[in-house]
Formats: sequence, C-alpha cells, structure tokens
Amino acid sequence: MADVDVKQDGGDYKRRGRNNNRKRVYEDDDDDRDHYDRRGPPTQRRRHERSPRHRYEEPPRAKLRRLILNVASSAKLPEDEAAEIAAYLGEKYDEPGLVDDFFQLFIQLIIEQPFRIPVVAAVAFYGNYIKPEMTVDAVQAVAVKAQEALTAGNWRDFKQLLRCLACLQSVFEGEGVFALLRQLFDTVVDLQTANETDVVGIELVKIILLTIPYALVAGGDAFHDQARDLLKDTHIVAENMIPIEGMIAAYAGDTGAKPFEYHSLIGLLQKQLDSEAESGFELACILRFRPEVLRKEDSEEELLSAPPTLAFPAFDIPKPVNPGSKGVFPEAFFSVYANQETETVPNTTEIAGSLIRDVLVDTIDQLDFNREAVAKFLIDIDNYWAVNTFAKRGTAVDKLRENASDKAMWKSEDMLVDAIFSQMLKLPTPEHKLVYYYSIITQACKVAPAAIAPSLGRAIRFVYKNIDVMDVELVYRFLDWFAQHLSNFEFRWRWAEWANDTGLSNLHPKKAFIVAVLDKEIRLSFAKRIRATLPDAYHPLIPTSLDKDVPDFKYDNDQTPFAAEGKLLWQQFRKKEPDEVIQATIDEIHKKAEQFGIEDVLVPSTDAFVTAICRIGSKSLSHALSCVERGKERLMNIANSSDAARRQIVASVVEFWKDQPGVAVNLVDKLLNYTILQPITVVQWALEDHMGAGEALTQGWVYEMVSNTVAKVAKRNYQITESRLQKNLSQQQLEMVENAMMIGRTSSHELFKFIEDAVRGVAEGANEQLMEKQANGSLTEEEVLHLRAWAQRWYTTFERMAQVEKSVIGEEAIETKLKFMAAQPEPESHFEDVGNGMADGDGQV
Amino acid sequence: MAPIRTQSTVERLDRPSTYASSKKRRRNNRDDRDWSPDVEDKLKDATTLYVGNLSFYTTEEQIHELFSKCGEIKRLVMGLDRFQKTPCGFCFVEYYTHQDALDCMKYIGGTKLDERIIRTDLDEGFAEGRQYGRGKSGGQVRDEYRSEYDPGRGGYGRAHDAGIEEDY
Repeated sequence: MADVDVKQDGGDYKRRGRNNNRKRVYEDDDDDRDHYDRRGPPTQRRRHERSPRHRYEEPPRAKLRRLILNVASSAKLPEDEAAEIAAYLGEKYDEPGLVDDFFQLFIQLIIEQPFRIPVVAAVAFYGNYIKPEMTVDAVQAVAVKAQEALTAGNWRDFKQLLRCLACLQSVFEGEGVFALLRQLFDTVVDLQTANETDVVGIELVKIILLTIPYALVAGGDAFHDQARDLLKDTHIVAENMIPIEGMIAAYAGDTGAKPFEYHSLIGLLQKQLDSEAESGFELACILRFRPEVLRKEDSEEELLSAPPTLAFPAFDIPKPVNPGSKGVFPEAFFSVYANQETETVPNTTEIAGSLIRDVLVDTIDQLDFNREAVAKFLIDIDNYWAVNTFAKRGTAVDKLRENASDKAMWKSEDMLVDAIFSQMLKLPTPEHKLVYYYSIITQACKVAPAAIAPSLGRAIRFVYKNIDVMDVELVYRFLDWFAQHLSNFEFRWRWAEWANDTGLSNLHPKKAFIVAVLDKEIRLSFAKRIRATLPDAYHPLIPTSLDKDVPDFKYDNDQTPFAAEGKLLWQQFRKKEPDEVIQATIDEIHKKAEQFGIEDVLVPSTDAFVTAICRIGSKSLSHALSCVERGKERLMNIANSSDAARRQIVASVVEFWKDQPGVAVNLVDKLLNYTILQPITVVQWALEDHMGAGEALTQGWVYEMVSNTVAKVAKRNYQITESRLQKNLSQQQLEMVENAMMIGRTSSHELFKFIEDAVRGVAEGANEQLMEKQANGSLTEEEVLHLRAWAQRWYTTFERMAQVEKSVIGEEAIETKLKFMAAQPEPESHFEDVGNGMADGDGQV
Repeated sequence: MAPIRTQSTVERLDRPSTYASSKKRRRNNRDDRDWSPDVEDKLKDATTLYVGNLSFYTTEEQIHELFSKCGEIKRLVMGLDRFQKTPCGFCFVEYYTHQDALDCMKYIGGTKLDERIIRTDLDEGFAEGRQYGRGKSGGQVRDEYRSEYDPGRGGYGRAHDAGIEEDY
C-alpha cells in the first residue's frame, strides 16, 4: 500500500480553504525530508538524524515517483504540486533513464488513476515553460499509447489518454485536439451510415463529448465555436435511440411509478453540453492550472515568456474500426440520488454530474486489483475537482439542505455510492464480477463509516422503494449484494422500518425481496443467527425447521407413499450395496406403482432414489457430490429414459431442500455439470411443473436457478464462438466448431423460447392455473396483477439476455468479426513471443 | 490473462503472500533438490486458494455460497483436524480458471465469512494429506499456542509446544 499511503492529516477533509502559500513551491526540500522520514528505511533515518550534514538524499527517480503518485493528495494546491514536479523533472532531465521511467509512470497514472489526469497533464503543461522538451516527450508518449488503444479498440484507455491531450490544448498549434475529435466524428458518420444500429459510433461520440469540456478549460474561449460546431453534429447520434436500448433500462413496465425515465448516457451528455454552450462553457468543476504559479516570489516582475507551441500528434483511425475485445453496449444513466428534493448530487441537467461520474467509474473499473486503493481514492475524490464543487465531507443531508444557497454543494459520499451502484446495476452486464463492487462498498464503509453509511442507507431505501418496477436481474443483483454486505457488518440493518411489509402477500415484490434476502443471509450464516438480528415480525419467515441439522426425510413418515421402499433404498445406497440389490428395490416400487395406476413408474422410483441421495448427501456438499457420483450411471439412465423422470430429479432435490433452496440450486447446477440434467429440463421443471399460477416467478431462488442455467449455456456458447475466431483453423476443425456453434445456437434458442412462452402466458393472464385461481378466488385481484407484472418483468429480462447472447454468438455477429479479422494484417510471428515473455514477467513482479 | 504491466501505481492484491516464497526458501535451505519449476512459477497459473481464519463451524455450503461469486468452484476441500476429522478452520478452494482465483484474492480475501475476516492465498494446488492440520494436537499450528480466546476456533490454544513448523 506504500504507494497510496499519502499524507493523511486526518483533517484531509478540509483541504479547501488552506492558505494559498505559493512560496512553498520551491521550498520542497523540507517537505521531502518530512515525507522520507515517514517512509524511509529506519536505519537511514537514524543515521540522518544524528548527522544532518550527511543527510540522505532521495534518488531523483524515487523522488519523482513519489511526487507524481501522490500528486493532488496533500494539503498543497494541485497547481503548485504540478509546477513543482515539472521544475524538479526539468532539473534532472538529463539523468540517464530517468525520463523514460517517468513517462512510463505518467502513462500508467493516466490509465490507472484517471482522477489525476488534469494534474498529471499539468506537469507537462508547466514543463513547456521550464523545459519545452519535456512537453514534447510527454505528448509523444501519450500519443503513442493513445494510438495503440485506438487501434486495439480499447476505448476506455483511449478516452483517458485523449483527455490528457485535451488538458494540454493550450500548448498545441491551431485546432489542437479538436481536429482529432472532428476526425473521430467523421468515423462515426461512416459507421452509422454503414449500420444504423452500430454501437461503436455511440462509444466514440461518448468519448468526443467527454473530451470537449477538458479541451475547453485548457484551451479557453478561443475554442468555444469549435465546440459548438461539433455539438451541432453529435446531436443526431447522441439523441438517437437504437433498439437494444429499450432493454437496458433499470426500471421496467409502463407504469407511471418509475422513479426515473430512461436516459442514455450520451443523450444526457449532449443536453448538458448544449446547456453549457448557452451559458458560455463555465465548466466550473474542472481544475484550472494557471501559468502564473511558476513565477517566483523574488522575481515577481519578470513576465513568463510565451512557451513554444507544438503540432498536435497525427492519429491514424483504423478502417474498419476495431470494435474491441469486449462487447460494446449503449449505456443507461443510473442514479439513486439524482433529481431528488435535496440536490446531493448534480441534477441530470448538470455537466458536472457526467464528468465526475465518468472519472469515478473509470477509477473503479481500472483499479479493480486493489479495492483498498479504490475506496480511498473515491473517498478523496473531492481533492481532484475545483474548490467548492463539493460540500465538506460527511455533511449530513439536512445540513446540506440548510446551507443550500445559490450554488449547490454536492455530497461526495453520495456521488461515490451512486457511481458504484451504477456499475453494480449496469445492464446488460457489469464490467467486473459483481462481488468486486460489493467489496469496494464494504471497503469504503470500513474507511469512512460515519460518512458513507448514511449515504448507503439512503441508496438502499431508494432501491427498496422502487423495487416493484425494477428489472428482475437488477433486483436479484441488489439482493445478493445486500445480503453479502450485511454479512460483513454483523447483519445490522434497520429492519423495523420494513416490518409492516412482512404482512404483505408473498407475491408482492417487496415481501418477495425480504424473503429472498433472508434466505441469502442464512446461506452465508445460519438461521438462528439471522433470526436474532431481526424484529419479531420477521420470525415467521424463518421456520424452525431450519434449525435442524438435516432436513426431514419424507420416507421416515409411514404415511408417505413408498415409505418402506424409500427407507430401504436409502439404507442400501448408504451401505453401498451392489446395483442388483438397489435395482430390486426399485423394481418393487415400479410394481407397486403400476398397481396404483401411476402412469410413469419411473417417477416414484426416481423420487425415492434422488431423495435417498439427498438424505445421505445432506451432511455436506462433498458428501452430496460423492453420492451423486456413485449414482451417476443410474441417474443418467433415468434422465435418458423419460421426460417426467428427469424432471423428477430436479423436483426431488428441490423438495428435499425446500427450506434451504440455496443448496438445491447448487446441486442442480452440479447435476448440469455432470450432464445428468440438460439445461432445458431444469427450465421446464422451474417454469412449467413448478410455475403454478406464476408464483415461481416471485421466488428469488427460481430466478437464480433459471438464470444460472441460461448463463451456463451462454458461457459454453461464448467459448465455442471464441474458438471459431481463432486464426488458421483446419477444415476439419472448422467443421467441428461450426457444428458445435449450430447446436449451441439451437439449444440457446430453445431455452429462451421456452422461458419467454412460459412467462408470457402469465403476463397475459393466459396461464391456466392463473385463470383458475383467479376464478375460484384463491388469488386476489391484486395478487393476479402482481403475478402478471412479475411475468412481464421476467420477459423483459430474458429477452434482453437472449439479445445479448445473440449479439455475440449470432451468425451476423460472427460474420462481422470474421470480416474484421480478415481485414487485419497478419501479425509477425515474433509478436506472440514477446507477448508471452511479458506475461511471464508479469507474474513475477 | 491479466493486463501486462510492469509495476502498477498501486499494489496488486492478487499476488501470492510471502508464505509461498518463504516456503520456497525453506525448501531450498533444507536440501538441494532441484526445485523446478519453482513455487512462484507454479503459482503463475494457480487455480487453487488456501483459505484461512475460518471458524470451525463454517460449513462447506457457506464457503461455496461466498466463493462461487468469483467463479464456478471445481473442488472444495475442508481442512480437518488430523485426529478428530472435524473442520479445523481452513480449506482449499479450487476454481476452473486462474483468473477466478486471482479475482477471489482481490474481491473476497480480507472480507468476512461467518463474521470472521478470512485470509486467502494462492496455492500451488491441493495434494492428499494437506487437508489435515499440522499442529501437535491435530488442528492448525496457530491454534496450538494461541493465548487469546477465540470461540470460533475452539477457545484457547491447545498446547504451547513450539518447534513444529507451520504449514498453514
């Protein structure tokens, strides 16, 4: 952590308003010693305390690294710090190797710590006055990397590097970065002309729009017209809505109850910039860097001579544009605080909202390898924006309301929580595994509990309030997070607030949410513990049967049909009796079943067999798996011989584990891995046998089982697709892969079709049981409406999943990728060697 | 594959702990066996994690619930008391991919399970025998001579015999 362990003066909360003592710029020696004392090896420190004359001098390389890594995180003004670094670098510029090292770090900072880009760029800006060579080298280094990112379709890196150049707008000749932005826009036009549902163009427009503000702040009034012209053009793309966007809205349904209408990220950006254009591009939140800081105290009279200008680096935009390795999707704006009564975060009309959000999101996504650093940087985010953008850290909302004067002061805690939530709840897929976002929230709460916890509480209440209309996938993500979050904080939550909702029908989205959260909490802990954290009103939701070590074995009850055979089978299987012995018992069940007139005798025997496996396996997951493995052959045979019997496998597992559905979901998942079950069987069981009048759709674990199954199929299909995109496949390999792809597409199509048909029946009120229960009054009108709304939300979610999968494995998608690959020049063979070599090195750093 | 970068601007949380290197050093000191590929090299593609500081009461299901958030789990081996064959506070979690194991280091190591902060470390892979505690009384060495009371790990330390080398 040493690198981020910067000056923490506790009162870092109050960086603003410290006295602006410019004298310190060139008096950094003392400060440095101070720094070093805290970090240097103790031996050296001791030596240096005793004989100050031989004081340890920090090597320039280390000093520069330290200075730039900590830039804008101390009590100094960012502009002073940037100038100081530029001065020091200028002084040591000729030390061998130093410059290369420095610029490597410079680039890394731009990519890994995007919140520092303006300050980092300012070093090069001041460098132009001190040693113009420095600026030339910096621009060159950034341009090379930016070109690489552009060529590779690595859009985020490209955006960040471009921002650094935009921050240097004043050092360039002529139009500077605007020429490139224009060039990029021409590419967008080409892309959109070729394909009107193109998404890469949308990404490029986003980059253009997010670059303009920085270029304007650095370049000044002279470029306002350029920006206006560009904005006129981007309009048409930014405000257009393509079909897939209809599926990535966080809130579903056409009920007027939506807390937020759908806004695309670029649509908002365009509007915000348009309104900035009207008000003369104030762009108040962005840090400013004035050349005057370079003037020394003793030479106040001396005017700075105008530094040289340089040509903007040339860029080559590849044709066709590389869409990048990750699928690009349009982005929806998401917020749990925006446009509310008290303006704790910028309103959606404010450009600051988009600019700060963008930086927060990039910081989160680029630094996933150190959540501790991310949490710290997010909490410190106010240090990297203009003074007075944010209220003092930890200001309570009611205080904020009181102080609300002419200019809004935003709450940095709300902004960072909002940013994390927007990524955790991003559709169609988050950038990283969900658990990463969970971990940053946990970390932020650990670092600044008093400041973050109230914000988080408000976010949770907002989502809960609107959970009825939220996308089902997002509800599931949210509850998964919520349970895990609570598990990190002694399961503390003000459950009393929602106690009234425990009286709601189980089909109500709020009640269903509570039930699902408690189940998840129990999975991470145990029933007794969770019960103890809840008010009495919740206790009926956690049945005492959960306190038993193992669930009931239904054949222990002699009233259960086939009780004797069920028990016998269990004993035989437990004692690992030979197969013939087990078969004899099963035959016995078949014989009896025939007498009872049961149509498919395999159903009761499968039930007995699977229940026995569950009973023996109930000791632990490992026990269960070893039982499944022992019974694998028999299970395979069952699954291959009758549809009813294979569905019974799922039914028996779920029935045995009905109080702990998490275990059932997990076992079903393993049965899929063993290919004992086919994906379609699981979905058929869940959304046909178990569907009822649609009640299944309200159960969190059913969603989990179905979505896990769908995800498993998708993952497999993605893998096959990837192997199709390998170069130099032989004819035989090609045929194999093509064939596998076809099978994959068919099974995925079949799966989605089944889900969509099943839920559509409920959504439209055509499901038989739904009609029956409605007619006989066992469901109230309100409940019927709930069920139909649930089904509608399921439909939207799975339709989106289908579309997303299609955008990767569909024939059209593959075609496009193959075409793109064919258009690329063959890489020289030594490239691959270098890649491997570096990867090896990476493991050893 | 993780992005190729020489050194990041902040420390990476998905590096193996010093345990792996100390183990390597110890082995090298003990004999001159040709330790190749060396441990660091083995961890390069590691898919297994050692998980420590679990409560003795934490179940496989709980571990599975948390750790499967980083990817599908291939195998889970509970650490057992050598004599009693009961959980003794550690386990091995094996994923299908190296990336999942790294993600687990980054996102789950250092967070809580069953209300204890758990520790994760990249591991060269489970081998039969490693599921047992190496302490004199059967559990983990750290529970032998612990002087604080830890209700989740059997109360006070069971013995104070030193001299046993701790392997987890």
